[in-house]
Amino acid sequence: MEAQGFATVTLTMTPEFQREVGIPRVAAIEYPYGRPVGQVHDREGQRQVLLAALSVFEEAKEPGQTFYLPFTWPEEPKHTDWQPPEISPIIKLHLDDIKALGAKLRKQK
Amino acid sequence: MMSEHEKVVDGFRFMPPSLSAWIGKDIPDPPYSGEIAWTPLDKPLKETTFTLVTTAGISMKSDPPFDLEREKREPAWGDPSYRKIPRTATESDIEVSHLHINTGYIKEDINVMLPLTRFAEFEKEGVIGSLAPTCYSFYGFQMDATALLSESAPQMADQMRQENVEAVLLTPA
Repeated sequence: MEAQGFATVTLTMTPEFQREVGIPRVAAIEYPYGRPVGQVHDREGQRQVLLAALSVFEEAKEPGQTFYLPFTWPEEPKHTDWQPPEISPIIKLHLDDIKALGAKLRKQK
Repeated sequence: MMSEHEKVVDGFRFMPPSLSAWIGKDIPDPPYSGEIAWTPLDKPLKETTFTLVTTAGISMKSDPPFDLEREKREPAWGDPSYRKIPRTATESDIEVSHLHINTGYIKEDINVMLPLTRFAEFEKEGVIGSLAPTCYSFYGFQMDATALLSESAPQMADQMRQENVEAVLLTPA
């Protein structure tokens, strides 16, 4: 879209992808997947996030900058229930690899 | 108000460690060194026409939903099409199709992913110039983005140009 002549800001929960795919302006937020703007019916919270994301249009001076938004999600990650009810096909396909990686990580600790 | 350095967002905070490791293994360590497209915004926000784009698989009930059945049969495939979402759409108008997130929250309040109501308010308050009549959703799980980029993206861009869109806020799922 940027190459087509539109200025863009990406409000993302995974700014790490910036290393893989150069993104023009990144507003990074530490919120769970599926709710980048905020909690259900939290109008004020959503407004604050959006105003911060909009300010990146003004503050970004060159491509590839990442602005970390200062908001903290109020729930513990394990309580956020962001995952789909059924495991996604790609994860299901690679489940053995993922579990093996998990086991390896636990052994390293 | 916010600094580039104060809080660093951990994109994997909400993922179990094994899943983070598996997804993270393909992300290179050094920063991106290729060219990044750039269109400056040379006017104040309050004079700018915006549209919203999300990757959360949102469609109007009057349109066909994103194809999840094919993805179940072909796990590396993701629907490369897009949908137009009018700025007046509400929760009861939409379907949300996504195999990688819990879509329930969006169905309760579309603004958590596609902040149509919030942007309509910003327009009324003069924070932004205007919200375009049309917003967009595509489907973010794309291991091969070729079809999305060659077919869907130009069509979205054409519609945006017709509506004099100048800036886009993207909200990935």
